[in-house]
Amino acid sequence: MISPEPTGGDRPVQAYDLMILGGGPAGLTAAIYAGRARVQTRVLGGTLPGGQPSRTAEVDNYPGFPDGVGGGELAQRFTAQAERFGAEIVPEMATEVDFSERPFRIRSARSQYRAGAVIVATGAVPRPLGIPGEEEFYGRGVSSCATCDGFFYQDREVVVVGGGDAAIDEALFLTKFARTVTVIHRRDTLRATEIYREQAFANPKIGFIWDSVVEEVLGDKTVTGVRVHNLKNGDTSMIRTDGVFVYIGMEPQSDLFVGQLELDPSGYVLSNARQHTNVPGVFVAGDVQDPNYRQVVIAAGTGAIAAMEAERYLGKYP
Amino acid sequence: MPLLDAEVKEEVARRLGTLTGPVRLVMFTQEIECEYCSETRQLVQEVADLSAHVTATVYDLVADSARADELGVDKIPAIAVIGERDYGIRFYGIPSGYEFTSLLAAMETAAAGEVDLAQATLETLSRLSTPVHMQVFVTPTCPYCPQAVVLAHKMAVASPMVQSDMISAQEFPHLAMKYQVMGVPRTVINEVTHIEGAADEPVVLEKLREALRARREEQ
Ligand SMILES: Cc1cc2nc3c(=O)[nH]c(=O)nc-3n(C[C@H](O)[C@H](O)[C@H](O)COP(=O)(O)OP(=O)(O)OC[C@H]3O[C@@H](n4cnc5c(N)ncnc54)[C@H](O)[C@@H]3O)c2cc1C
Repeated sequence: MISPEPTGGDRPVQAYDLMILGGGPAGLTAAIYAGRARVQTRVLGGTLPGGQPSRTAEVDNYPGFPDGVGGGELAQRFTAQAERFGAEIVPEMATEVDFSERPFRIRSARSQYRAGAVIVATGAVPRPLGIPGEEEFYGRGVSSCATCDGFFYQDREVVVVGGGDAAIDEALFLTKFARTVTVIHRRDTLRATEIYREQAFANPKIGFIWDSVVEEVLGDKTVTGVRVHNLKNGDTSMIRTDGVFVYIGMEPQSDLFVGQLELDPSGYVLSNARQHTNVPGVFVAGDVQDPNYRQVVIAAGTGAIAAMEAERYLGKYP
Repeated sequence: MPLLDAEVKEEVARRLGTLTGPVRLVMFTQEIECEYCSETRQLVQEVADLSAHVTATVYDLVADSARADELGVDKIPAIAVIGERDYGIRFYGIPSGYEFTSLLAAMETAAAGEVDLAQATLETLSRLSTPVHMQVFVTPTCPYCPQAVVLAHKMAVASPMVQSDMISAQEFPHLAMKYQVMGVPRTVINEVTHIEGAADEPVVLEKLREALRARREEQ
């Protein structure tokens, strides 16, 4: 169990019927349902209020927004709707949990909580490349948030690593700032949805390096380039660049639950079709339990299920 | 044209309705206004109009230089958020986008005059004998940034030795350059230590201690 210092020992214990860990689409949807069911609920929102949608400029496939919706705006709308039904959302990170007996115990840096039921909705975080230079230059040329940092690359050259939806979406966004955007992808075709591929191939600022992986981030004070290895012909080359945006996929944010909940080998929380974990009274929703789809609409859907199941559970075992 | 639409105004009025004390927004601009100065001035006025607890005062950086010196304000647009006393809460650049949240939070913190930080943080802050300057660089489109700003502002309220600035990287490119900001949030403490990203309180505390150690070694 992780217990960094200082941890919420200072404050009296607060008790809730339901604690929701995570303030993204899954957690906030769960909060809307729990609020309407008049379940006394607290949401710990962690470091990314509104969840991953806040990190993207535009969401085009969430139903009900025929013209698309800004990611930040969508996150804000989820939050406002949850608050309307009485959810208390606080920007705290759960740092320690104990699900071994009821009431379940949760700590954050400031507070300690007891809860009759818990919904885990901690989502996913960008997977790092895990190569030399990446950590060293984080914030000095290496980024995983184009909406946050795109501004610093006006008229500069950047690379985007990855070939999925997020990579291509953000590559397109970065063309608003950067002079050139080079997508480096390990295969010879993009995994991204057709509509993104069409847009990317049509954009004159976007170039591609296929069948290749980045092996090292190079720089002095800030990033100056990347070393790229071609998997097909074995060649290694240096690419000059000012920025490296990493979008090679996500990892479930489940470290906190190791030894508490059953996880699959990749760290996703295991759940049945009704969003139950192996611990009765602890439910799970969204990207932290979804190795396959990772979409806002699905995170919201599983969040609704988890809340309805939690409400039933609390009805049976108050 | 108002900057805040009716829906936002209603929400802000609701939040500011719960303020527990008076707040003054002291804004600095100058005669020939900077790119975002007039918008910042308008924002400050619109916010102040939404609550009886809030007053707005506008100064000129040059003509009112004595007031600027007193508050340590050296660039515009600037907002000092002042409660019962001046806690050292500053915004340099317009608090728009995600940073509007930070402005509201700062007003709540300044009105309350007390903060919910961990005991260990409060202890370190209460023992400070030299000034601490926290500069948090942000962009308005960064969802992680308000966390870093709010925490720095709370630390300012917790200690008379701490001044904490939000700095909009795009409005102060020379500072962004000076501190090599290429990603946000980036928190610079006393020019010596820096934090990448929205770190949790214990991490920020550790970096603050590191900055204090660095200063002692210098002396
Ligand atoms: C760049 C990008 C673009 C995307 N575009 C789209 C798109 O166009 N359409 C689409 O459908 N999907 C898109 N997605 C995916 C979508 O955003 C996710 O599937 C969805 O946000 C998952 O929701 P979630 O609530 O499960 O988790 P997240 O959104 O990851 O939210 C997790 C929440 O948990 C909090 N948290 C984490 N750990 C803790 C802790 N220990 N204690 C307390 N809180 C914690 C975080 O702060 C956050 O609030 C995109 C993702 C990215 C990164």
